[in-house]
Amino acid sequence: MTLVPILEPNWMRAILPEMILSVAGLILILLDAFAPRLRPFFSQLTVLALVATGFASLRAPGGTFFGGTYEISALTLLFDLVFILATLLATLLSREYLARERLEGGEYFALILWGTVGMMMMAKGLDLLIVILGLELLSICIFVLVGAHRRIAISNEASLKYFLMGAFATGFILYGTALLYGMSGSTSFTGLSTWYRGVPEAPPLLTLAVVMMMGGFGFKLALAPFHGWAPDVYQGSPTPVAAWLSTAPKAATLVALIRIWHALSGGAAPPAWSGIIAVLSVLSMMVGNLVAIAQRDLKRMLAYSGIAHVGYMMIAIYVLRPESVAAITVYAMTYVLMNVGAFGVVSLLRKNQNDPQTLDDIAGLGFRHPFYGFVLAICMLSLAGIPPTAGFMAKLLLFKVAIEAGAIWIAIVGIVASIFSTYYYLRVVYYLYMKDADEPVVEPDRGIFSMAALGIAVIGIVTIGLLPAPLFRGALAAAAVMLRTIP
Amino acid sequence: MFSNTLLSAVLWLPLAGAIILMAFPRRAEGAIKATALGISLLTFVLSLLIVTRFQGATAAFQLTETRDWIPDWGIQYALGVDGISLWLVLLTTFLTPIVLLSSWYSIRKHPKEYVIAMLALEFGMLGAFFALDLILFYVFFELMLIPMYLIIGVWGGKNRIYAAIKFFIFTIAGSLLMLIAILDLGWLHAKQMGSASFAITDLYGLTIEPREQLLLFIAFTLAFAIKVPLVPLHTWLPDAHVEAPTGGSIILAGVLLKLGTYGFVRFVLPFFPDATAEWAWLLGLLAVIGIIYGALIAWVQPDMKKLVAYSSVSHLGFCVLGIFAMTQASVTGSILQSINHGISTGALFLLVGVIYDRRHTRLLADFGGLARVMPIFTVLFIITALSSVGLPGLNGFVGEFLILAGSFRTMPRLTIAATTGVILAAIYLLWLVQKVFFGPVIHKENENLPDLRWNELLAVSPLIVMMVWIGLYPAPFLSRIEPSVQQLLAISSRGGNERMVLGWTPDEDPAAAAARARAEALRAVEGESR
Repeated sequence: MTLVPILEPNWMRAILPEMILSVAGLILILLDAFAPRLRPFFSQLTVLALVATGFASLRAPGGTFFGGTYEISALTLLFDLVFILATLLATLLSREYLARERLEGGEYFALILWGTVGMMMMAKGLDLLIVILGLELLSICIFVLVGAHRRIAISNEASLKYFLMGAFATGFILYGTALLYGMSGSTSFTGLSTWYRGVPEAPPLLTLAVVMMMGGFGFKLALAPFHGWAPDVYQGSPTPVAAWLSTAPKAATLVALIRIWHALSGGAAPPAWSGIIAVLSVLSMMVGNLVAIAQRDLKRMLAYSGIAHVGYMMIAIYVLRPESVAAITVYAMTYVLMNVGAFGVVSLLRKNQNDPQTLDDIAGLGFRHPFYGFVLAICMLSLAGIPPTAGFMAKLLLFKVAIEAGAIWIAIVGIVASIFSTYYYLRVVYYLYMKDADEPVVEPDRGIFSMAALGIAVIGIVTIGLLPAPLFRGALAAAAVMLRTIP
Repeated sequence: MFSNTLLSAVLWLPLAGAIILMAFPRRAEGAIKATALGISLLTFVLSLLIVTRFQGATAAFQLTETRDWIPDWGIQYALGVDGISLWLVLLTTFLTPIVLLSSWYSIRKHPKEYVIAMLALEFGMLGAFFALDLILFYVFFELMLIPMYLIIGVWGGKNRIYAAIKFFIFTIAGSLLMLIAILDLGWLHAKQMGSASFAITDLYGLTIEPREQLLLFIAFTLAFAIKVPLVPLHTWLPDAHVEAPTGGSIILAGVLLKLGTYGFVRFVLPFFPDATAEWAWLLGLLAVIGIIYGALIAWVQPDMKKLVAYSSVSHLGFCVLGIFAMTQASVTGSILQSINHGISTGALFLLVGVIYDRRHTRLLADFGGLARVMPIFTVLFIITALSSVGLPGLNGFVGEFLILAGSFRTMPRLTIAATTGVILAAIYLLWLVQKVFFGPVIHKENENLPDLRWNELLAVSPLIVMMVWIGLYPAPFLSRIEPSVQQLLAISSRGGNERMVLGWTPDEDPAAAAARARAEALRAVEGESR
């Protein structure tokens, strides 16, 4: 490893997206301090920054940068778009929510933007240290955002819980990284891969390192059995933050996990380790879906459903191959749309945030507010994987990859888990359309920004559901490139 | 008009109508109902064009349309009809306006959403019958669950939530396993032919080893057996029927259940000939158990709608028996009987709904002597009941006769047992007729019941006409079904490599294909007579 910084000629344009987001965050913080009258325009500024970032991502030159530690490729572009989309939707949902809850401030949007930078680093890093730096940047932003409701007890609890457990999980990842470095003398994925192919037999310490890292990443992904924090944190955080937190960071972590896994498997994972993945996947699908059935609080239900969805995505890592990277990309994109859509409708419920937002609060919503009811129903059907929604197409791709890899059994487990899940997703539809509201009725807000976010989500879900071919093709091409760059 | 896109036009028209109706203000109920009815009638007229363009002597898929949908996986938007699906399509487009008409006054809660759900449902059903690509079929197969779930759950009776969720979970449990099997078939095609394809005709050419065939067969059969439904997977049906509003019941019995029998004919027999040959006896047995069990349960029902629901279990048993007997007559009969059942059971549900709207009860004990109070209603009800019983001269007889005559050749003992179902049907339906219509008027409330309203009469009349037409002159229907059945049976027989000889290939000239299919059919007939 050389300590002299190497700057490729194009490096400025390569990390322009990250720079735009970071600078925009700084500007927002400064404006908050010196021109507080501009606060109502902060969300628009954030949206503007995100759109600019999107263009910068599209125009970023491909290749590796900073001495081979940073990758810009078609795949990182797709994930950039996933992160930007999630952040954009969360920002749109936040504006009216923050005004209603009197939480307006520059730091909120700045933290969301910086968190996005963290995710981009995780997805682009070709070195464990970059991934961990990104992860930490992201985590610190999340700690603060989760506790944004300063006056509400469960929000403080959620923040503290996530901070303590998250710090612990990061410790595990660092410890695993240290072990890897100790054995291989490298933290870069290329170095790890070369080293791994050179050793005649995997040293026992390597297993320990892998277990440590899986524990840490498992926590960040809220995989069972590391999922305990998710329901409490989602319930306590401001709903738009929960929407963001439950989607984009998981996608970022999955990319990093794929890279690590690929480096340490040389294409074919040793059975003992893929066993770990299979166990985590099956446990998450089952625990997530079965416990979700018992939830009446919408945010907790979505938390458990999220655990199950990461379980589905782990199927693709279990059978790691180019198509499975494509499957995860498509699933991540879809998951952002449907989960943010679902949280979005919940965020509109005008209620004391200390109280749970339960199924009763949406009773009869489908006929009182047809648009919100329609959005939530479509999101639920998509989460349940029922055509013609994006959720169906994403699951189809996932199960197809598993079947073609010869792992039919795990596809069948996934199918059985989805059968369980239809029960609680349909229960939401039941409350929306078939149940009359109890008094007093919880009226949802009507905000133009939130409506825009919901509209984007629904259009995205239906478009991917009906015409998935372009996204599939893009993801397949990108994934093929990615797995080739690592020898 | 629509020279190449007739099927697409028929398919998308109801959905377009549903989307247009969303924009209507909720208060304009009359306009909403009239528009929906107009759209469904227009769909029906367009679907008549399919019949006129359909070449009766050809076994191949006709009026086909093929576009790439997800080209990377060989998934296509491919539509077409053949003799097996033609009349089911017509049944769908025929029943939808009837349903809308019959529920003109009876749906008071959210009528706008109701007609939208009905049109969306029609879109799903048509798509499933048109689809020539397995993934496309699957999409439509599941798509129609959503509007049906809403129809039962929002407009249903007292216990509607339980029934709606049970309906959904039962059906989706079966179909999700089928999805795995579908993906596996596509993968097999990729391994054997070098490129992925889910086109039905491509998949007919696969050679699948027996063990795998059996697993795939189980997955497909489970999905369709739940849909039909076969005993012991039928428990969702009585609940769904009893709780569903009249319109929902008509569509459920008339078309949705037919997707089960259609699936058996279209996919299970030709994809898995070895597994089918080995296990046909079991499905035949389950069908016969269903025939007798359904009839016996129907006999003791105090509730008219439940009685009709269980009679569905019994009647569809005949269709399944005919399919797995796998003779030319029995399969043709099964397909015709699917149509017949849609017409006569649809009419029965409609008429039971009429009486329920007036009295808000369906218990046999609450009626008696209606013949004097509602003469037109009585006449129509009795004709319908007789058609359902299988009286010669009405449609039910033709189908049942073909099924029983055909099945006797391959499954004689089961067929003899099934015949008791015909007798039992006569018992429970005539029992119903006697209790409700004859004797003195016991209950005072029944003395002044109004006879059929205009919309109800308009809705029932076409059904009665069809009962008589198919009963007296079934030839135009049968002649279009037969060639496709013949080819299907040739594909489904254990012919091994010869299976592809009869297969339809998309590159072939339709006229040449027609000539070849006819020649093949003639040769097959000669072989039989020798």
